[in-house]
Amino acid sequence: MDEKIQDIYLTNKKMRKKWQAFLEERGIKNFAENEVNLIQQTIGIFNEQDELIATGSLAGNVIKYVAVCDVISETKGARFNKIISELENRLSQVECFHYFVYTKPMYQKSFEHVGFKLLAATSLGILMEKGTPNITDYIASIPHFPIKKRIASIVMNANPFTKGHRFLVEKAASENDYVYVFVVNQDASLFKTNERIELIKRGTADLKNVVVVNGGDYMVSYVSFASYFIKNTDQIIKYQTMLDAKIFKNNIIKPLGITSRYLGSEPFSHTTSLYNDALKKELGNDIQVIIVPRKKISGVTVSATKVREAIATGNFGEFTDYVPKTTADYIIQNMENIQLRIRERAEN
Amino acid sequence: MEIKKSAIAGTLESSDVQIMLSTGKNGFEFELESDVAKQFGDQIKETIVNVLKKYKIENAEIRVIDKGALDMVIKARAITAAQRALDIVDTPQWEVL
Amino acid sequence: MMKQKERLRRTMMFVPGNNPAMVKDAGIFGADSIMFDLEDAVSMSEKDAARYLVYEALQTVDYGDAELVVRINGLDTPYYENDIKAMVKAGIDVIRLPKVESAEMMQQLEVLVEKAEKSFGREVGSTNLMAAIESAKGVVNAFEIATSSKRMIGIALSAEDYTTDMKTHRYSDGQELLYARNVILHAARAAGIAAFDTVFTNMDDEEGFYRETELIHQLGFDGKSLVNPRQIEMVNKVYEPTKKEILNAQGVIAAIEDAKRKGSGVISMNGQMVDRPVVLRAQRVMRLAIAANLIDEEGNEIEE
Repeated sequence: MDEKIQDIYLTNKKMRKKWQAFLEERGIKNFAENEVNLIQQTIGIFNEQDELIATGSLAGNVIKYVAVCDVISETKGARFNKIISELENRLSQVECFHYFVYTKPMYQKSFEHVGFKLLAATSLGILMEKGTPNITDYIASIPHFPIKKRIASIVMNANPFTKGHRFLVEKAASENDYVYVFVVNQDASLFKTNERIELIKRGTADLKNVVVVNGGDYMVSYVSFASYFIKNTDQIIKYQTMLDAKIFKNNIIKPLGITSRYLGSEPFSHTTSLYNDALKKELGNDIQVIIVPRKKISGVTVSATKVREAIATGNFGEFTDYVPKTTADYIIQNMENIQLRIRERAEN
Repeated sequence: MEIKKSAIAGTLESSDVQIMLSTGKNGFEFELESDVAKQFGDQIKETIVNVLKKYKIENAEIRVIDKGALDMVIKARAITAAQRALDIVDTPQWEVL
Repeated sequence: MMKQKERLRRTMMFVPGNNPAMVKDAGIFGADSIMFDLEDAVSMSEKDAARYLVYEALQTVDYGDAELVVRINGLDTPYYENDIKAMVKAGIDVIRLPKVESAEMMQQLEVLVEKAEKSFGREVGSTNLMAAIESAKGVVNAFEIATSSKRMIGIALSAEDYTTDMKTHRYSDGQELLYARNVILHAARAAGIAAFDTVFTNMDDEEGFYRETELIHQLGFDGKSLVNPRQIEMVNKVYEPTKKEILNAQGVIAAIEDAKRKGSGVISMNGQMVDRPVVLRAQRVMRLAIAANLIDEEGNEIEE
């Protein structure tokens, strides 16, 4: 009762040091900028001597950097529950009722006791969720196809939708009864999620067996998976790609009757090729994983990166061939707006 | 009445209960986590349902994490959650108490 | 039921209003008064939650003989009016208003309390009031506050905010509170209501706690606000009457009964007339002795 919950301001150097030392003592040693800078609030429980005895942080709808002093073991669980409660109440104040925690596998039980449910587990880290709408609600919101059909799946960001994407979808559509195109839900991209979905829909409107759906909270970019509890960089990539594959495997495949996943080959990016390997390894026993070589136009691989660069430099005219007419029309119509966004992003 | 927004009330601390309400379609749908769910699960649900009915709520998804709360605590948290979900925190319905 | 003004009020235990474990168990420590806190102990986002938790507890939990007090949020907050309504409806004994600086503030509260009593069908006048004085202005106006309403049962010093207002902080010797304590005590005595001393928060300093409690006992306070149940026994020990005081009080009580039997309007003892303050003190000593388990309800010594 003499332990108080207080805000911790990490901008205060002394406090930040105290906080970091507390976490390091408890085995959390990754304070990379991409992890710490995303934190929006941090709270702590302090005892009468003003010592930090528990802490937790929020980054959007993700709970992270949770640690509890366990010197007096009977109170450990109580403090943990207190921290999680307070973080949840703070999330509810910003109208957030669905949240995630990425943590070490050993903490699965603790989070289960406070109502979190496992979405996916790897040996390095796990992902759990709590609240509403959850994975069950997400699956229910997607159109379902008759079972025992060949149902393909593709996960894409499509920033923006190119002929390369179109080529992949077309191939899947021709080889299957139905195709799900899950669009990565991430407004960090130049083209916003709604725009990307719309461009994919327009660009595949002629393919009657294709359905385009928002990937929701379950198909985000794997690089955004919190990894603050893993120190080794190589392990982080392994964990992130494995976790992404497991999320798909445990939660998406079965309820939707998916029989295959199509991937674009990745000759240039090391991490993406690791990602493809992870998917193949994780999903290979359950469904077909088909890696399709990237589409080339006049010997050059089509990529959304090149399209964005061309828009930025005002050379889009030379690259209209890379995208379907639907995408090209949209870009031309909204050229000023998109270029403005590029400049704003560069400034940030 | 219709639930206007999701709401949460209570904590995960000992002797408390955390109740999350959100819009539902099929009456009252419960998800209950409690060490005493076997013995007291139905009673916990009944207490919450009685409160919701007083607020004329007919459909709701109700997620409950019970940490050994007494009936009066469950009732108090259900009242708080209902008023938050109906967006009437500042103008409570006194007749419900 | 004991008349409100005659109650023992040695200990007023603070209970955070949004903590179910503490609200549920508040009655087991033997505090004379239990003060459920809806104010400082409750964060802004949980004000509604605490209000209904205390409400439900008051409907269901048996708190024995303890006087039930609730500290509501101040009248400059958006929670004030709903706190009053809920607590009047719940049938609370006493509403404690924080940060009181004038009689007007109490009168404003009284109007709302009366309105709530009427609308919830509670006997008008059955909700008592008390004021917490937390500023220089409050201390200066202590007497007008103490006499602001027939419903007033006490005034309390709240030293944390008071010392801040005085541009100081709390010291272990309590010199900074001497004036406020005396003023509040005088105002309370002149108004015929109870005087409560402030909380002592350093749980590790037992010696300091005894020192402070002995001081306020010596000054004449009814009792002290407490944050930890462990302090109840300590305060009660300080307030325990001596054998000599009990013997004397028993004599006075016997003299009263003697006068009653004789049908005499004058109480006399050892050839002296016993006047009212002496009677009141004797009754108070007897109540303290009963509460401390030194004598039984009939006034006889309990053998150890």
